[in-house]
Amino acid sequence: MRNDVRALRAQHGLSQAALGTALGVSRQTINSIENGRYDPSLPLAIAIAHQFQRTVEEIFHVDD
Amino acid sequence: MSTTELSRRTRLALGIALGLVVVVTLGLVLRRWGPGNMGNGVLQGGFVTILLFAVAAWRTSRRPDRTLTAERALTGAGDERDDAVMTRSAAFVGVLALPLTGLATVALALEAPTEIVMTILLWTELILAVASFVFYSRRA
Repeated sequence: MRNDVRALRAQHGLSQAALGTALGVSRQTINSIENGRYDPSLPLAIAIAHQFQRTVEEIFHVDD
Repeated sequence: MSTTELSRRTRLALGIALGLVVVVTLGLVLRRWGPGNMGNGVLQGGFVTILLFAVAAWRTSRRPDRTLTAERALTGAGDERDDAVMTRSAAFVGVLALPLTGLATVALALEAPTEIVMTILLWTELILAVASFVFYSRRA
């Protein structure tokens, strides 16, 4: 699954560690999500969407 | 310090204290009535394990952002990715433990030396646990 977390994080001027702290997860988890190695749970995906004031579908895209 | 963090530290301290009681009691009992040097092995292995756990717990409490996935997962401070890595790794070892134990049983039935068979079984499972954890941690 692709996502725009890295781009949105950069837009908001957040480091991976800062975003991780805001979401209650580790910096490594943010890094793994950004690199597409880990697909977050639905609650975490919703928390990410809330953080950037977007919907989940606007951030996460299923690979075709 | 938040109430949640205080509660987690209290639980970790209680876990370490309980672990020490179990290791010392079991070690002393086995030193008195167990075969060979089993008691000393339990005491040494138990103390090393508890020491490593205490170090991981201390690091996780002080600088959680600087800790490894394994440290967070083993001390109950992990997030969902840490837990997923731990679960996959444990499942991998669990599945392989069945045929490995079967092989060890066959080896013992063929009168292979018990100590060597058990040592190989133990180290194989430990190495598989570490290797699978590293593998899944890098993949996830």
